[in-house]
Amino acid sequence: MDILYSIYEVAWFVLIVAAGIAALEGYFYYHFKLYGKKWFMAVSAVFFPLAAVLLCRYLGLVEGGGLGRVWAWFFIAQVLINLFFKHIVKGRFSLPYMLLAPAFTGLALLLVYPFVFQIYLSFHDLKLTTIMAWKNTGRLPFAGIQQYINVFTTSPLSEITFWTLLLRTLLWTFTNVFFHVAGGFALALLLNNEIRFKGFYRTLLVIPWAMPQVVAVLAMRGEFHSQYGFINIMLGKLAAAFPALAALGFGPVQWLSDHPLATCTLINIWLGIPFMMVVILGGLQSISSSYYDAADIDGASYFQKLRYITLPLIRPVLMPAVTLGTVWTFNNINVIYLVTGQSGGTEQADILVSALYKAAFTYNRYSYSAAFAIVIFAMLFFISVFYYAPTFGRGNLGIRGSLRGKVISPSSPARG
Amino acid sequence: MAEVRFSHVTKKFNENMILNGVSAEIKDHEFVVIVGPSGCGKTTLLRMLAGLEEITAGEIYIDNVLVNNMHPSKRQIAMVFQDYALYPHMTVEENMSFALRLMKLKSGAISARVHEAAAILQLTKLLKRMPKQLSGGQRQRVAIGRAIVRHPKVFLFDEPLSNLDAKLREEMRVEIAKLYQRLNATIIYVTHDQVEAMTLAGRIVIMNHGIIQQVGTPIEVYRKPANLFVAGFIGSPTMNFLYGRLQAEGEKLFFKNDSLTLYLPPFLLADAARNAGREAALGIRPDDVVIGPGVREDCSEKIEGILEVSELLGHRENLYIKAGENRILAAVEAFFNQSPGSKVSVGFNYRNMHVFDKKTQKRINNS
Repeated sequence: MDILYSIYEVAWFVLIVAAGIAALEGYFYYHFKLYGKKWFMAVSAVFFPLAAVLLCRYLGLVEGGGLGRVWAWFFIAQVLINLFFKHIVKGRFSLPYMLLAPAFTGLALLLVYPFVFQIYLSFHDLKLTTIMAWKNTGRLPFAGIQQYINVFTTSPLSEITFWTLLLRTLLWTFTNVFFHVAGGFALALLLNNEIRFKGFYRTLLVIPWAMPQVVAVLAMRGEFHSQYGFINIMLGKLAAAFPALAALGFGPVQWLSDHPLATCTLINIWLGIPFMMVVILGGLQSISSSYYDAADIDGASYFQKLRYITLPLIRPVLMPAVTLGTVWTFNNINVIYLVTGQSGGTEQADILVSALYKAAFTYNRYSYSAAFAIVIFAMLFFISVFYYAPTFGRGNLGIRGSLRGKVISPSSPARG
Repeated sequence: MAEVRFSHVTKKFNENMILNGVSAEIKDHEFVVIVGPSGCGKTTLLRMLAGLEEITAGEIYIDNVLVNNMHPSKRQIAMVFQDYALYPHMTVEENMSFALRLMKLKSGAISARVHEAAAILQLTKLLKRMPKQLSGGQRQRVAIGRAIVRHPKVFLFDEPLSNLDAKLREEMRVEIAKLYQRLNATIIYVTHDQVEAMTLAGRIVIMNHGIIQQVGTPIEVYRKPANLFVAGFIGSPTMNFLYGRLQAEGEKLFFKNDSLTLYLPPFLLADAARNAGREAALGIRPDDVVIGPGVREDCSEKIEGILEVSELLGHRENLYIKAGENRILAAVEAFFNQSPGSKVSVGFNYRNMHVFDKKTQKRINNS
């Protein structure tokens, strides 16, 4: 019987989702197809706010007294939407808008709403002591920019400061991305040669990236175990075999407790190399071999070819990958969270985002975390815009056309 | 400037024989065009000379120096690639000076050489541009300029005009001819286009299936093709071939097939008795097909044919004629005023007729 009830629940859920989608499609149909009718404005201004208010009432989102206010908001929003459809979305733009509408709605629900709510939170004070009041009254104490001041002046965790975290995060990002690119480039160069079992090697090398990150990280974490991990066993055997090394202090290391950040870095480097390798290999394979022929005749050595031909020509694929890699590494909470033992544990390995996670969900400082997250977002945004964006264009300049469009770069202007 | 000698050069890719014992000599200051259909091994031969492909067997000499295992940059050659291979991230000037910079020449000397080459090729105004800002013809000139600045012993051109449109190709062909007159260098030029071969070459090397078919001046290969392949490859429109058997009747030699009997005079093919009984192919260029009832000296007796299609080219007209089982293309002065389906009488100019043995594919007449 339990299973039947589960099926009933799932079916009910599916029905609700389907009804929601149907309602959304109907809403779009009305606005995209019927905007020319005389009754378009009047009917929608009456019907849709009413339906929305009834829905809110039914779901218990609003109490009886607030209904009029809610209706007024919906009414104004609906009038604005009507005007938008009647006067802006019309004629030849209606098809592209119509095709974009479902995706836009999805993004609005998943990205725009949380972002707006986060900004709202960051200027108020939501924490463990105010959350019940918020639930009961729907009101939060306004905090102005106090949360932003706190971000820079207080510790998100128990002792470490924001500035230490920032410095550590930059170091972490730089080290990781550097070794990702260096390792990926070296492996891509090897794989770009005529070697046997190339496909096999490539598959093996891509595995860390293709595996679910949780599995990969936990497996690697096991290898760093002080007693049973592969790495310490090897180090112990080496120290035993070469006493001279042992005399220099070479031997097993307490990776997880003494050097958590170094452990995280090693694991993350291992995880990140395959992506860079695949991207760079794609770049290398798009370089026409006649450039290398020409360089051979011009008398370039292997390293000169690397320096003057290969590097400039993979730049257009490398720079977006480095930007992505930087953002991913900067934001990489998974590895640190999984290696250092979830929410408790050490603070020695925390970077900005993992500290943010702990501030929000271990210390329950929601508004503070919202402000913290916006600060991190702003930093990444400016890094991307001011450091990488110009190089996209520049790398692109010399490449397009001569590689006959093989390299697709994000800043290629749209045609048509 | 230099001589180049290929001696029994062979190239295999795995078990595929690409070049099968190529021997040829290219003299100092000579413009040699290697021509052949795609896949005949001509580009492979050039790349082996440049040092970009391994040599399976045989020897290649430049100026009597064996270069089989010499690095491309040490062979004192310069190559112009089919796709130009201009480094897309360097300006025209950087492209042209790249080799010189790698040689660690003084910047004054580099700049002098680059500007000299740029002046020859009218590139001076374009030196600061990027390759993608240039037209196809300009890129071609930069690629040639990159070769010139190195003062090489031998210039190698690998189908340099095949990426250009027809009109530009004609212009660049003339440019290359002028450039040759000016540089007076040893040039080896690979192409699949027999028009380029005929117009540019001092000597033509015709290749097919990894074997040299004939080497000679343009007029030699046109007038006296050594075999059926050369006869069919050189010349536009393509030569007509009639297939049949040679038969002797007394002292006279006749060419016969199901619908045609042609007398072959002794000045065309002597020694009737020895040639009788051979399977043969007669080759006649469309320009040597004589149309109309009038009698001419050194021309075969007329045969009757039916005009199938006529193509007007302006000054000439191509007539596709069917005579029995034989299909004949005739190129005549415009305008040939008869409609398709009408009867025409066709004769062949004995002076420019070629006789080939069908089995060995070799030419058997000497005239």
